[in-house]
Amino acid sequence: MVARMKGKSVQASGICKRYKSFFGRSSTILDNISLDIDAGDIFGLLGPNGSGKTTLISIFSTLIYPEAGSLSILGMDARRNRNAIRKCINISTAKPNFPWSLTVKENLRHYGMLYGLHGSALSRTVRDQIDAFELGEFQDHRFEDLSTGLKQRLSLAKAMLNHPSLIFLDEPTTGLDPDISIKTRQLIRRIHEEEGISVVLSTHYMPEAEMLCDKIAFLRQGRIVALDTPHNLKRHLALGERIAVSYQGEADLAALEEQPGILGLKAEKGRVEIIVDRGEESLDGIIKLFAKAKITDIAIKEPDLEDVFIELAR
Amino acid sequence: MSWQGELNRFLASAYKNWIISRRNIFTVFELFFWPMVSLLSIGLLTRFLAVEGSMVSFLLVGAIALTILQVAQIDVAYVLLFDMWSKSIKNTFIAPIRSYHLVFGALLFGILRGCVVFLILVAVSGHLFGFNFLAGGIFPVLAFLAGIFAMAASIGITVCISILTFGQKADVAAWSLSGLILLVSGIYYPVDVLPPLLQALAWAIPLTYFLEYYRSIFIPGPHHLAWGCALASFYLILGLILLDRAIERARRTGILLRLSE
Ligand SMILES: Nc1ncnc2c1ncn2[C@@H]1O[C@H](COP(=O)(O)OP(=O)(O)OP(=O)(O)O)[C@@H](O)[C@H]1O
Ligand SMILES: [Mg+2]
Repeated sequence: MVARMKGKSVQASGICKRYKSFFGRSSTILDNISLDIDAGDIFGLLGPNGSGKTTLISIFSTLIYPEAGSLSILGMDARRNRNAIRKCINISTAKPNFPWSLTVKENLRHYGMLYGLHGSALSRTVRDQIDAFELGEFQDHRFEDLSTGLKQRLSLAKAMLNHPSLIFLDEPTTGLDPDISIKTRQLIRRIHEEEGISVVLSTHYMPEAEMLCDKIAFLRQGRIVALDTPHNLKRHLALGERIAVSYQGEADLAALEEQPGILGLKAEKGRVEIIVDRGEESLDGIIKLFAKAKITDIAIKEPDLEDVFIELAR
Repeated sequence: MSWQGELNRFLASAYKNWIISRRNIFTVFELFFWPMVSLLSIGLLTRFLAVEGSMVSFLLVGAIALTILQVAQIDVAYVLLFDMWSKSIKNTFIAPIRSYHLVFGALLFGILRGCVVFLILVAVSGHLFGFNFLAGGIFPVLAFLAGIFAMAASIGITVCISILTFGQKADVAAWSLSGLILLVSGIYYPVDVLPPLLQALAWAIPLTYFLEYYRSIFIPGPHHLAWGCALASFYLILGLILLDRAIERARRTGILLRLSE
């Protein structure tokens, strides 16, 4: 487990993916993607629809091949050691799909067999995953009869069958209600912490990325436009905290702009929104400038990844 | 990896096909209804035309061969078709498996189904048309069936290759392959009656040789079983190599992803 924590789970450099249309026109889906992911991390891929998240995950998991670039997964060259890599990774796809008429248990058995599990080890692994993902009550239900949340859970259970060192989760909580989403996120956390598994996940849901991910890459039109920890992303984009002040009377807005640590200002009648570097430190100076006015309301809002997303997707 | 683990990677596809067919009402049609229709229609035709004994065996052997071929080939094709229909193809190809695991696993189940159909047809044709399939002993039957199953595997592989190369709906083109085989490999008439060009084609199809061999037991004549075996093995190996290449190509072109959307 400790050994897994060292090194890189993914090392990619110069990855390009193009698709040729029927008439020979090619479109670039991924353009020169280079990134390293530390083993043991939960790594998030963010980006608007069509930015290439699923494509990148598919390339990392050796499901499809890039046209250019070098890729190493868990220290193994992705061109030469595909089968060895496939033994130690797994994936839970967006919109999980499995053979419809197989039950939860039968599906797990089938995929367990594909991974070469047999005998009591196969039965035990299937049972363990059914327990771990609380699928016991539904183990004899056919896939086609499951709710979206259960399908997602089956997909996560399937991704754990071969005891992988690295798993790829493509939008693991899309389409789930808030309650089930929270549960799923806890499951991902638990997999990561208890089993020491590296996770690469894509999501559209910013609080999820903020909650789970050690690092985030932001994709736009097939390129990485930002790559950092959630904390640094917010800082570097100068998405400071927002202090919203509502007041009656006169305020010296011109002097407000001169204050150190003020990044921006949006004023309407009787209300001003001030973007600052560090909320608490600027607060005192700001309030002094409202000495002649009566403050009726004041609120401090921390920036979240939602703001980062909107900023980067522009 | 232990041999049991390796074996299970083959058996995985057989397991999947088995459960899906068990739950599918149309399996009854595939296993009983259509085979019976084809056997009875040919058998009754021979009565109506007052065909003599050796010709009855000629036609019944053809009808049974074609039926078993179709049952077994569809099982091999199902290994990818089921994945395609349920959009779960990504989950199969993320696993550390090779094309031969899929093909031979599915073929195993195809052989099982083929044998069930064969036994039913043998019983019925013996009872209704007085034709004893086992007249030449057990070895010819086994050789004949082995040839048909090898042929079925090659057709099933062709279906898989066309799906991976041309995407959904391409399977229709591949199904026509068994139509072509019906036409030229001497199922209901000797190959000699074909025009020369089609005759050349007929001798490129292993099934022609296996039919010739098996019929030689009831209507003595020359046969070229060794050629049939060589050709069947050649197509099977070629098919597996091409299937591997088709999978690699589908990974490069991204068809593999589109098949699961
Ligand atoms: N097999 C394919 N052939 C051609 N184009 C494709 C193929 N697969 C994906 N694309 C295109 O590649 C681009 C990136 O798609 P991808 O699915 O990776 O985006 P994404 O970031 O996962 O989007 P979403 O958030 O909607 O899931 C899209 O414009 C898509 O239309
Ligand atoms: Mg996607």
